[in-house]
Amino acid sequence: MTAPTLDTAPLRPPGPRAHLTDQRVRDALTVQQHLLTAARAFLHDAGFAETLPPVIGPVTDPGGRGSKQVDVDFYGHPYKLMTSAILYKQTSLLAFRKIFCIAPNVRLEPLETADTSRHLAEFHQLDVEVAGASREEITRLAADLVVHMVRAAVAALPEVFARLGRDTSAFAGLTPGGFPSLTHAEAVALLRQRGHEQSPDAEIDWRGEVLLSAARTGPFFVVDYPKGSRGFYDRESTTTPGALRNFDLIAPEGYGELCSGSERTHTYAEIVTRMRETGENPQKYRWYLDVVREGVPASSGFGIGVERLTRYVCGLDAVWQANAYPKLPGVVSP
Amino acid sequence: MSGTGRLSAPGFPEAAVRDRARRGAAAAFPAAEEYGSTLYGAASAAPGPDGLDAMRLVPPLFMERRLEKLIDLGREPVHGDVDLATRIGGLHAPLPVYVSATGSTRAASGDAGLALSRQAGALGLPMVIGENVVPTGGYRRGTGGAHGALLDRLTAYGEALAPGVGGVVVQQSTEDADAEVWNLLYSDPGAAALLDSGRLAFELKLGQGAKPGLGGMTVLDDREAARLGDRFGTEALFPGGTTLRSATPGTFTAEILRQQIRLMRNNFPRARVWVKLFPGRDVADAVRVAVEAGADAVAVDGAEGGTGWAPGVFLRDVGLPLAECLHRLAALPRPVDGGLPLLVSGRMWEGGRVAKSLALGAAAAGLGRAALLAVDEDPRHGLGRLVDCLAFELRLLISALGKYRPAGLGPDDVWTAAAASAGEHPGVVADRR
Repeated sequence: MTAPTLDTAPLRPPGPRAHLTDQRVRDALTVQQHLLTAARAFLHDAGFAETLPPVIGPVTDPGGRGSKQVDVDFYGHPYKLMTSAILYKQTSLLAFRKIFCIAPNVRLEPLETADTSRHLAEFHQLDVEVAGASREEITRLAADLVVHMVRAAVAALPEVFARLGRDTSAFAGLTPGGFPSLTHAEAVALLRQRGHEQSPDAEIDWRGEVLLSAARTGPFFVVDYPKGSRGFYDRESTTTPGALRNFDLIAPEGYGELCSGSERTHTYAEIVTRMRETGENPQKYRWYLDVVREGVPASSGFGIGVERLTRYVCGLDAVWQANAYPKLPGVVSP
Repeated sequence: MSGTGRLSAPGFPEAAVRDRARRGAAAAFPAAEEYGSTLYGAASAAPGPDGLDAMRLVPPLFMERRLEKLIDLGREPVHGDVDLATRIGGLHAPLPVYVSATGSTRAASGDAGLALSRQAGALGLPMVIGENVVPTGGYRRGTGGAHGALLDRLTAYGEALAPGVGGVVVQQSTEDADAEVWNLLYSDPGAAALLDSGRLAFELKLGQGAKPGLGGMTVLDDREAARLGDRFGTEALFPGGTTLRSATPGTFTAEILRQQIRLMRNNFPRARVWVKLFPGRDVADAVRVAVEAGADAVAVDGAEGGTGWAPGVFLRDVGLPLAECLHRLAALPRPVDGGLPLLVSGRMWEGGRVAKSLALGAAAAGLGRAALLAVDEDPRHGLGRLVDCLAFELRLLISALGKYRPAGLGPDDVWTAAAASAGEHPGVVADRR
């Protein structure tokens, strides 16, 4: 097994029978189960409540990068399938101080993402939210959680990793205590040094993300994304206006982003203002705004892409190999 | 050829536009059969209330640029040597003209919207599709009823379009954001040809010249009003079972505008970003913020702008005239690599007003009412003939000023009585730029 190159020819899933009986897929799904079991144990031990996330609602995460939402007719009212659990994660803190859930997300990503090896229109996220946590605390938690998940799977399934051809020495550097981080501005400067035209005001583009990732041997955080690149719920820094108190966790070896998270915008006026800055109509967020107007706890949280983490841990060519019924953007499939 | 005569435009030179839609470039002159029997002259020496109309284009006698062109060509240059091709907000156009937004307003709906799309496509003119088309007219074919769905207009435009020119610019209002118009288009196979060839743009609308400070307004029958009432404000203002539908104007600050533009660039990196402004008193600030945030074009709709439904008091009393907008924008620093990507609209229909706007800093001018009237006059060729005549006049005017490209025009080419009486003498030193 070699790490993914930048210009692999697009791979497409075969039919469901061939896919589900493919030994690599079975092995990847086995590793995935161990990753999730380990995550549940780790979070339960740390005092987290597991919640069951809603699948539909009047409004969902507005998303970004051109991904579309799916409409559902709810007795004559326009509802959405969840693109992420973010709104419910924040309001669930009214019931529990520390929560997690494993949430299905549906995002109709632009057609050109079908061949990035990293996008599925339907995927799962291990979502975590902690009341009162700072970015420093939440990134530390994310790093320790990932380390625990990977170590547990590697320890339990040596024969599976051998069959997958994944050299587990790649994870030798995964130790508790956090991962290194660089700022978005530093990432932009690095990419430009390498001749990649990365906008300083935007999300790191997909190719840029692969370039950054390929140059590393261990996971790392990119922090302080600029405001125009993320949703209203990522909190803006009070000391560095325009910079968000957020982060992405990037896997090494070219596997790219595993996880996004942030300190949350949680005061009513700030949320409404940020909604306007992101072109959103506050009117449609009525239930959420009614709740936050009366107050929700300050918090930080993140969501780990379950299929993406599985892909990295197993050393798979494409993320769809880590999903039993993969749906690539624009590809009609079961 | 007689048109449908469905539309009228009081206060706008409708008869002249219809004449051009019938006769094309011949309409740059009076009817030839009158020659020899009619004495012609300007209608009035007194400048009207419209600042642009009151200005005059003033060719110099000494023309360095014409000498350059003469050397280049090896013969005397003529007006046919003017190259009108222009880059408009990241799109290529055969002349510095685009079709400005016509949204869900009834005059632009149904067959008129489709005929306009087809003609604009055939001419390679960039065309803006206005806000609220999706909530009102639907998105996909067959869903729009009498209004004409967004994709129908896009398809009609694309089928007629020549390679390498033109493009479609789609507005999204606050209400459209709920319908995710830009997201829908960005990943729709029906828009892929335009997107892949770099000819899809999205326009963020802050308002329009006819009703500065207000959102879009249309008149609906009661049945439509009931259908749309949950998304728009509606008021039963009019007799006969009709209702006023008002979209919200949207709330902007400099930071909201800046971040919305950045988010558009972040989310739709392959689409061009346009911004449309109403003629507000801080228009220069807004243009600066938009350009700095990375907009490919900023369109300023002067208070003379029209097309849509607007309260009379807004037409009479609200907003800066386009000439004043251009004056306020003249002080903005120009980017080193080419001009400010400034587009203007408001009573545009012939070469003089367009040429004056270009001379005062605009990169292109938008046709609104004129385009709709021309299509109304002749649904197949009206816009083509109107644009033929406009292009012909632009070539005459630009060559008369000793220039051979629209971008060569400058403030020296325009004379205003007010500036002259204030002791400024633009145009006195020939071609000094």
